[in-house]
Amino acid sequence: MFDLHMVLAITGVALVGGLIGLDRTAAGQFMISQPIVAAPFAGWLLGDATAGLVIGAMLELIWVLDMPVGSFVPADATVSAVTATAVAALTCPGGAPRSVLGFCLLLSAGTVPFTMMAETSVRNWNSRLVDAAHAVAGADVARSLSRAHLTGLFAFFLKSVVLYVLLLPAGLAAAALFMRSPSIVQVAMELFLKLLPLLGVALVVRRLSISSLDPFVLTGFITAGLATLVLHFHAALVTLLTVVSGWLGVRYREHRR
Amino acid sequence: MQSLGFSYALLPVLQKLYPDRAEFEARLRLHMEYFNTQPYLASFILGAVARLEEDRAAGRASASAIDAVGLKSALMAPLGALGDSFFWGALKPLAAVIAVALVMAGVWWAPILFLVLYNLWHVGLRMSVLFWGYHSSGDAMALMERYSFTRMARLFKAISLSVLGGVLAGISGWRPEFGPNLPLPGPVVALAALTGTMLLVSVLRRGGSPIKLMLGLALFCLALAYAGVV
Repeated sequence: MFDLHMVLAITGVALVGGLIGLDRTAAGQFMISQPIVAAPFAGWLLGDATAGLVIGAMLELIWVLDMPVGSFVPADATVSAVTATAVAALTCPGGAPRSVLGFCLLLSAGTVPFTMMAETSVRNWNSRLVDAAHAVAGADVARSLSRAHLTGLFAFFLKSVVLYVLLLPAGLAAAALFMRSPSIVQVAMELFLKLLPLLGVALVVRRLSISSLDPFVLTGFITAGLATLVLHFHAALVTLLTVVSGWLGVRYREHRR
Repeated sequence: MQSLGFSYALLPVLQKLYPDRAEFEARLRLHMEYFNTQPYLASFILGAVARLEEDRAAGRASASAIDAVGLKSALMAPLGALGDSFFWGALKPLAAVIAVALVMAGVWWAPILFLVLYNLWHVGLRMSVLFWGYHSSGDAMALMERYSFTRMARLFKAISLSVLGGVLAGISGWRPEFGPNLPLPGPVVALAALTGTMLLVSVLRRGGSPIKLMLGLALFCLALAYAGVV
């Protein structure tokens, strides 16, 4: 199972994933670490961009409003998304079937507690770095600060690499067991994949709106329904129309006030 | 939390302003104290602190003027709350739901659009507030007036919800991995998706983390499979 090709693939994913993970909090925050970007990229590197796109889109919906507010440490959705994508792509090199995609998405939920623990530890350690730089006496405080800053960056990179090295083999072993599971389990995972978008949409609606049946959701629903089912517009145009209808809805509400 | 990065970013400014080694070190140590805010709006504070340090070094600061360290302490909490609700709570969800809507419809370049949509705002605002902080010497009221983050956040949230409604309406055209494949007319499937989602929202209002909900959904699917419903 873990031949040289697999070891090299795991090492490659760990290093690339570690670099992408720096974008989460340590450097830049240009959102390349978001599941919808990181997972398709990882999938593309491993030869299955579609798996990455499917997994990334679902995890994006689920974790998009898990915000790093104050001292709260959110789940590391980058590690979860890249791990799930890599497990899917390495388990089924010719293109992962839907049941495997569903299983890998479920697997990503299992990685969350580990990623949160690791993130909390590195953040605490990073906070202590500045105290250490502060404690340096004499003229070396600037040099000590620069060193602490770079050490902090490396610590975040190393944290992700270690997580990938530990989680990927475990995920691959779990996926190998799943492949041997009864067909009924595989059918369940296929259904899980189909129902997950509804849960994802519900999670975002619940966080953005105070009512269950939000008027803006209904506006978009009716607009897209007409554009798709009656006028047969292209998906990109339908999405643009829902954006415009939401904007018009806000303008109308402001005008009424 | 962010004091390491903040003081590192300020290092070249302080080195230039304070040629005297002892004074430079004293100022640097002051900026290494606790600092935590929304990382993008930290640019505003960084610009303002650079300006106040410049005034101080040039002897332009009056005795009553607020010190750079005091300004940091005063601004980090309100700007943190403002930035969190705008960038994390409104802009990121908007870019994400638009990209997800396109992925669901089979558009492969959706991740690129996500990056463009988000970073046009993010990079533009980050650069802009850095210089605004410098020119206004940290006038946060003027910042809020100029950018009206709260109003934009409301608008972005409403548009996100509208796009999500559109995602549910287009369920018949979802990519094959998610497509329902039910022998029912498109409008009926779309209405069922809307009803199901609204029921899930009602359930979510009673609490539950995303992990627990994913596990619950997986168990529900297993139960359906064992019962022979699918």
